[in-house]
Amino acid sequence: MSNTAVETVRTFDTRTEAKIPVESPLTYSYRRSGAPAPTAKSRVVMRERAFLGHLVLCGGAVVLDGAVRAVLGISLPGEPQGLVQDDEGKRSIQWVSPDEWLVIVPGGEEFELENRLRAALGDAHFAISNVSGGQTLVELEGEAAREVLMKSVVYDVHPSHFPVGKGVTTIFAKTTVVLRRPSEERWELVVRRSFADYTYRWLLDAGEEYAIGVER
Amino acid sequence: MSQPNAQENRLAQGGRIDRSRRLSFTFNGKTYQGHAGDTLASALLANGVDIVNRSFKYSRPRGIFAAGAEEPNALVQLGVSEAGQVPNVRATQQALYDGLTARSTNGWPNVQRDLMGLVGKLGGGFMPPGFYYKTFMAPASMWMTYEKVIRKGAGLGRSPLESDPDIYDHMHQHCDVLVVGAGPAGLAAALAAARSGARVIVADEQEEMGGTLLDSRELLDDKPAEQWVAETVEALSNMDNVTLLPRTTANGYHDHNFVTLHERRTEHLADTAPLKDGLRQVRSRLHRVRAGRVVLATGAHERPLVYGNNDVPGNMLAGAVSTYVRRYGVVPGNKLVLSVSNDHAYRAALDWVEAGRDVVAIADARANPDGELVEQARAKGIRIIAGAAVVEAKGDARVSAARIAKVDLQGFRVVGGAETLSCDTIASSGGYSPVIHLASHTGSRPTWNEELLGFVPNTVKGVAAAGGARGVYATGAVLADGAEAGLDAATEAGFSAASLGLPRVAERSDGAAVALYQVPHEKATLRAPKQFVDLQNDVTAAGIEVATREGFESIEHVKRYTAMGFGTDQGKLGNINGMAIAARVLGRSIPEVGTTVFRPNYTPVTFGAIVGRHCGELFDPERYTAMHQWHVEQGAAFEEVGQWMRPWYFPRKVNGKTETMHEAVARECLAVREKVGILDASTLGKIDIQGPDAREFLGRVYTNKWAKLAPGRVRYGLMCKDDGMVFDDGTTSCLGDNHFLMTTSTGGAATVLEWLEIWHQTEWPELDVYFNSVTDHWATMTITGPEARKLMEEVTTEVDLDKDSFKFMDWKEGKVAGVPARIFRISFTGELAYEINVQANYALHVWETLFAHGDKYGLTPYGTETMHVLRAEKGFIIAGQDTDGSVTPEDLGMHWAIGYDKPFSWIGKRALTRPDTSRENRKQMVGLKPKDPTVVLEEGAQIVLDPNHSIPMPMEGHVTSSYYSPTLASGFALAVVKGGHQKMGETVYLPMVDGQVHEAEIVSPIFLDPKGERQNV
Repeated sequence: MSNTAVETVRTFDTRTEAKIPVESPLTYSYRRSGAPAPTAKSRVVMRERAFLGHLVLCGGAVVLDGAVRAVLGISLPGEPQGLVQDDEGKRSIQWVSPDEWLVIVPGGEEFELENRLRAALGDAHFAISNVSGGQTLVELEGEAAREVLMKSVVYDVHPSHFPVGKGVTTIFAKTTVVLRRPSEERWELVVRRSFADYTYRWLLDAGEEYAIGVER
Repeated sequence: MSQPNAQENRLAQGGRIDRSRRLSFTFNGKTYQGHAGDTLASALLANGVDIVNRSFKYSRPRGIFAAGAEEPNALVQLGVSEAGQVPNVRATQQALYDGLTARSTNGWPNVQRDLMGLVGKLGGGFMPPGFYYKTFMAPASMWMTYEKVIRKGAGLGRSPLESDPDIYDHMHQHCDVLVVGAGPAGLAAALAAARSGARVIVADEQEEMGGTLLDSRELLDDKPAEQWVAETVEALSNMDNVTLLPRTTANGYHDHNFVTLHERRTEHLADTAPLKDGLRQVRSRLHRVRAGRVVLATGAHERPLVYGNNDVPGNMLAGAVSTYVRRYGVVPGNKLVLSVSNDHAYRAALDWVEAGRDVVAIADARANPDGELVEQARAKGIRIIAGAAVVEAKGDARVSAARIAKVDLQGFRVVGGAETLSCDTIASSGGYSPVIHLASHTGSRPTWNEELLGFVPNTVKGVAAAGGARGVYATGAVLADGAEAGLDAATEAGFSAASLGLPRVAERSDGAAVALYQVPHEKATLRAPKQFVDLQNDVTAAGIEVATREGFESIEHVKRYTAMGFGTDQGKLGNINGMAIAARVLGRSIPEVGTTVFRPNYTPVTFGAIVGRHCGELFDPERYTAMHQWHVEQGAAFEEVGQWMRPWYFPRKVNGKTETMHEAVARECLAVREKVGILDASTLGKIDIQGPDAREFLGRVYTNKWAKLAPGRVRYGLMCKDDGMVFDDGTTSCLGDNHFLMTTSTGGAATVLEWLEIWHQTEWPELDVYFNSVTDHWATMTITGPEARKLMEEVTTEVDLDKDSFKFMDWKEGKVAGVPARIFRISFTGELAYEINVQANYALHVWETLFAHGDKYGLTPYGTETMHVLRAEKGFIIAGQDTDGSVTPEDLGMHWAIGYDKPFSWIGKRALTRPDTSRENRKQMVGLKPKDPTVVLEEGAQIVLDPNHSIPMPMEGHVTSSYYSPTLASGFALAVVKGGHQKMGETVYLPMVDGQVHEAEIVSPIFLDPKGERQNV
C-alpha cells in the first residue's frame, strides 16, 4: 500500500470475520412475501447471490486497466457496456460509464482487493468505493427469464442486442437496476439494497405466469 | 323478434365458424346460441337481433352496421359479474364464448322502447347540433346537472363498481420491423421482412389473421385465399425472429417509432381471465414497441352512403354483408337492396344471392357500370338501376323498403320520381378510405388523392403504408405492395433478402368509381329525413350544414360544433363524408377543407392495460432500511419520505390501549431529553467523495469553509442553488485529506449527487474528484440523550468514548456490537449523540444488541415526528420544510455558515450580493411562541400584524414548522416573517379559517439550550 493512499484516503474494512448474524437485502422479502420453491413447472428461477464484494472503481481506463490486470488478472472491458469475468466466473468487472466500473468479487476479498489496487495505482487520480452492503446480486435463469425481463426493463434484451458479456444500467419498473448477462442462460441484476424488496416483489409478480421459483 | 336457438339467419354451411361447437350467450337478458368462431355481432345477426342500441343523442334504434373496428352502433357493456364489467366493447370485435353476457350501452331504460326515443322522435328539432354548447351552457352552473341526465340517457357504458379481479401488464418490445395489420399486405410484408432475418412483430386486431382474404372471392394460386393465409401464418409462426400478436390493436403511434399495442389475451375466453395450468393469466397486455421500421398495413374502411334514415336497423356497409356471409355463414336479412358508387361493393349482392336469398336491386350511381363484377351480377339476373341511388330508407325498427331515384351527381339533385322497393336490408358503399389513423398520429397530414377518392398518408421517416392503407386495393397489387414494403423496411434496418415469391391472382377489371358521399334527396338537406354522417355521435348532414351556416368553416370547428369523429369513433366511418358535405356546402374541394386530426387511441384501451402492474403494492417502490423488519414488528407507524418508509412514531400499548400519535411523540421526546433514544437514520443520503480536489470542490458547493477541516472532524454544511437560495444541508466528515463523506437530506440524496456531478462535469472538470453514492451501503443509527455515552460504552470496543478525546463534531472508527463501525458525534437533537454507521448487512444485529443493553437506560426508539420536534426545539431547519427555494442562508440567520471571504467563489455567492437578497423586509426565520401554550399553530398559517385590518389583510409571513413540545410544555413554531430578525418580542396574529385568531410572540428559533451545552457534554 502506498503511503500516499494511506494519508489521503481512509480505507475501512466494514466486514468482520467474527460470527455475527448477517442479513442480505432480501432477508426481509423472504419473510414478507415468501419464496416459492422451484417446481417442474417453473420456467424461470430466481436466486440471490448475497454478501459478495462490490467495489465501484473510478478513474482513467488506461491506468485502471494496468492495475486490475496486475491485481485481479483480468482486464477492464474493452468496450462500453462490456462485462469481463475471470476463468472461474467468480470475479467480474463491468463498464458502468466512461470513467466508472463495477467490480464484483467473492465476499471477503473486497477489502484486500481495494488495498492492492490502491497500492498498484499509487498517485494516479482514481477512487474506489466499497458498496458491498448497499447492493445485492439477483440471478434469473430459465427459458422464460427473458420474458420476465421484457416485462420489467425498457432495455432490449434480445440476444442479438444483448449478447453474453454485456451489461447495462437500465430502468426496471419504477426503479433502476444494473442488468448483465454473464452466460447464455443466466441474467444478473445488481439491485440497490433499499429497492431490493420492491424488485423482488415485482419479479415474483412478473414471473407468476411462468411459475417462477426462488432458490435459496 | 327471434326465437332462442333459432339462428334463423345462419347458413347451413360455409364460413369459418365451427358448427359442432355451440355456444350460449346472453344479450339484454335474453339467451341465444352461436358458434365457436362467431363474433358477438355475427351471432346476434344469426339470431335476427335487429336493434342492438339506441343512438347517443336522438335515441334512435340502431342495428349492427359494420363488421370490424369501425362499427359505430353495436357498443355493448360486457360482463357477467359486477367486477368484470367492461364498457364500450364493439360487438363486431368481441369473440363469442360460452356464457358471454352483454347489454346495450345505450338505451336507458331499455333498448326496445325507451324514454329517450320520444325525445328523438318528437324533439328532433329540439336537439340541433351545437345543442350542448348552446342550450346547456346557460346557466353555466347547471351544466353539471344537465350532464348527468344526458350521460345517463346517452349511455356510453359504465365502469365497474368493484375492483377488477384480473391482472394486466406491460411488455417492452423491440424489433427491426413492426407490421401493423395481417391482411394480404401485412402478411406479405411480414414474410418478406422475416425472410431477411430481421426481428419482426406482426400485430393484428382480429381474432384471426388474414384480413380481407378471409372473406375474399378471389383465388391465390388457384386456391381459396384463406389457404394462402393459413400457410403464411404457419410459416411465420415457425420463424424464431417473428412474434405474431393476434387480437392486438396498434392503438397509438408515438414519436420515434414507439408504438403501443393492446393485446387482448383472454377476452375471447371468458368474462374474467381463466387459470391456465393452474396459473393466473394476464387479461390484456400493453406492448410498448420500439420499432426500427413500421409497416402500416391497416387496410381501408368502406364509406357508407349518406341518405335519408340511413341509420334504421337493416342499413349496413356492403363489405360487412360479404364478411358476415362468407366468414361467419350469416345472411343478415332476406331481401337486399344495394346502393353503390363502385364495382367492389357488388360482392355483397353476389354473396347474398349465392347464400340463396333475394337481391331486390342494385342502385349504381354510375351511368354505365360495366366492370367484371357488374357483369357477374347481371349474369345472375340481378336488377341493376344505373345512375341511381337509395335516397331514403323506410322502416322503424327495421328497414321495410328503399326509395331509389336517379341522381344528378354534379347538380346534387334527384332527377325524376323515386321508386319504392320493399326490402329488409340496404347495403351501401361510397368507396373506400385508407385507414390512416396511425399515420396521422405521427403528426403528418394526409393528402387527398382524387383518383382514389380518399386521403392517403404522407411519407414519414421510418414508416411506410402498404396496400389498402395507401389506396392500393387489387389483391395482387396489395400482396406485391406489402412484400415490397416489408423488404424495404428490412433493408433500411440493415438486412437483405431476395424478393418474395407471391401467389398468382387473376386480375379483375373494375370500372371506374364515382365520387358520391351524401345522396341528394327531393327535399333540401335541412328538411329531408335525417341523413347520418357519424352514427356514433348522431351527426347528420343537416348538422354540418347548420355548422357552416353559423360560420364554423374550418373542418376542426365543424368537428367540435357537431362532435363528428369524437370519442371512441375517431372518425372511422363518417369523417370523409362529413368533409365532403362541408366542402359541398362551402363550395370548396375536399383537400381545401382538409381533414381533422386523428388521435390515439385508435380503439378504446382498458385502463387496466394502461396501468399494467403499477398498481396496488407495486404502485410505487417502497424503500426499506436494514432495520425495517424490526420497525414493523414493533408496530411502528410509517411515513413516506422520498420513497423511503421511515418509522413515524412507535405507538405503545398502555393498559391495553394503543397510544395516539401525540402521546407516543411526547413520550419519545422526553425519553431523548431525559434518557436516551434511538433513530434509524439510514435514509440520509451519503456520498463518498475522493480525490485531491475534493476539499476545493466542497468549498465551491457549500456556502461555508472547508479548507481547514482536519481528518477526524465533521462540519455542518449548507448548500445553495446558483440563485442563492438554500437547497440542502447536512454534515460532511473529513475521512482523509482527499476523502470526505457527505450526508444529505433523505429526500435530497439523488438530487444532490446529480448536482455535484453536473457542476463537476460541466463547470469544473479540471478538479480531480469522484463522487459515489454509499447511502445503501451504510446503515445509520443515532443514539442520543444524556445516557447515550453509558449505553455506547457497553457495546463499543476499540474506541475511547471519553468526552475529551472524542469530542462533539469528531468521528472515530471502532466496533459496535463486534461490528466495524464509524461513529460520528453529531447531533440533530441538541443532546449528546452518536451516529453509528455499520455495513447494512450487520445492521439488525447491532440494532438489537443496542436494545439488549439499552433497557436499563430507558432506550426508546423514536421516529421522524419526534425527530422533527426535537430539531425544531433547537431551531435546526429541514430543507424543503422550513425552506421553499426562496430562503437565503441570511434569511435563516445562518451567517455563521457563510464564507464570504473564501478565495474561490461558491455556488450562490454572486446571487447573495443582489439588492433583493439584502433588502430589509425579506421573510426571515424566527420562532413563534403561542400566547396560549395549548395551541399548536397550523403549519402554513398566515401571519398578520393587525387582526382587525380589513380583508385583504397584509400578510407578513407564515408558519413553516409547528409542534407541541413536552419539554417546553407548550406549542411552538418556526416561521418566516418579513423583517423578523428585528421583530423579537413583538406580537403577531394568525387568523384561522374557522374565525379564531391565534396570538403569538416572535422569539428566537432556538427554544432550548441556546448555548448548545447539552450536545457537548
